[in-house]
Amino acid sequence: MFHKLLFIMSTVLTVASALVVLLNKNIMHACIALLGSLIGIAGLYLTLGADFVAATQLMVYVGGVVILMLFAVMLTGGQDFVSKTQKLFDLTPNMGNATSYSVGIVSAALFGMIIYGLTESSLSSIPKKDIDPNLIEASTLERLGELLLTDHVLAFEISSVLLLGALVGAAIIARPDRSTSSSANTSEEQ
Amino acid sequence: MMMSLASYLVISAFLFLIGIAVILSRKSLIAILLGIELILNAAALNFVTYSRFGSQDLDGHIMTLFIIVVAAAEAAVGLAIVIRHFQLKETIHIDEVSQLKE
Repeated sequence: MFHKLLFIMSTVLTVASALVVLLNKNIMHACIALLGSLIGIAGLYLTLGADFVAATQLMVYVGGVVILMLFAVMLTGGQDFVSKTQKLFDLTPNMGNATSYSVGIVSAALFGMIIYGLTESSLSSIPKKDIDPNLIEASTLERLGELLLTDHVLAFEISSVLLLGALVGAAIIARPDRSTSSSANTSEEQ
Repeated sequence: MMMSLASYLVISAFLFLIGIAVILSRKSLIAILLGIELILNAAALNFVTYSRFGSQDLDGHIMTLFIIVVAAAEAAVGLAIVIRHFQLKETIHIDEVSQLKE
């Protein structure tokens, strides 16, 4: 019962927040809605028995990436760009012009293709059974730790180097006065 | 039938397409990064779903953890580029972004 309730709430939160990300004109509100969508996905991970992945999703995405995006939105003025042509709805960005209609057609066609592929082929080879709602699953934490430090230890170490390089690179790129500081360095050398 | 493999896959497909639509329709660089995050999450959800319903081992979880790490690095570098561009050109409109020097 609790599993089903969590599944329904997470699904509704994820889908509704993703729609708000698409349709809201204010980019600040879109960032907050993305936060709701990521929390919903963490709930879906919980229903799948992936407790550590859900906790990581909450900490890294909700606590890190979305906050970073909010900082970027506020540092760049928080403006979004609404087309000035005739609009079907005043609320949503780029509604009622050729772009919105073609985006809608492309998305609907892709969605239809994916659903068709699901019903036709990919489900036939996998047993069709639901998650048992009464099953109490063991924590995945111990096995994940073992796997990360034995089978996947190379990828683990490479990802740490990747994070270090990406964050140092981001700090260097976003440094505000590169020209003045580099000229100051050269004058010091002289 | 409700918590079956197909329902998780439909949710994932829906998130993926919302991300595609966000990337295609929005005109701000940060909003495009929001769409990329949605697409990455759809892929990660698929990994965990197949790990639960398919092989029952934890390789899908490991893959999802690495997706989260790479997405964090990508978001940091992407937002740094956006902020740098805004400092130089005073705009982040996708049609006016072409170079990152003065």
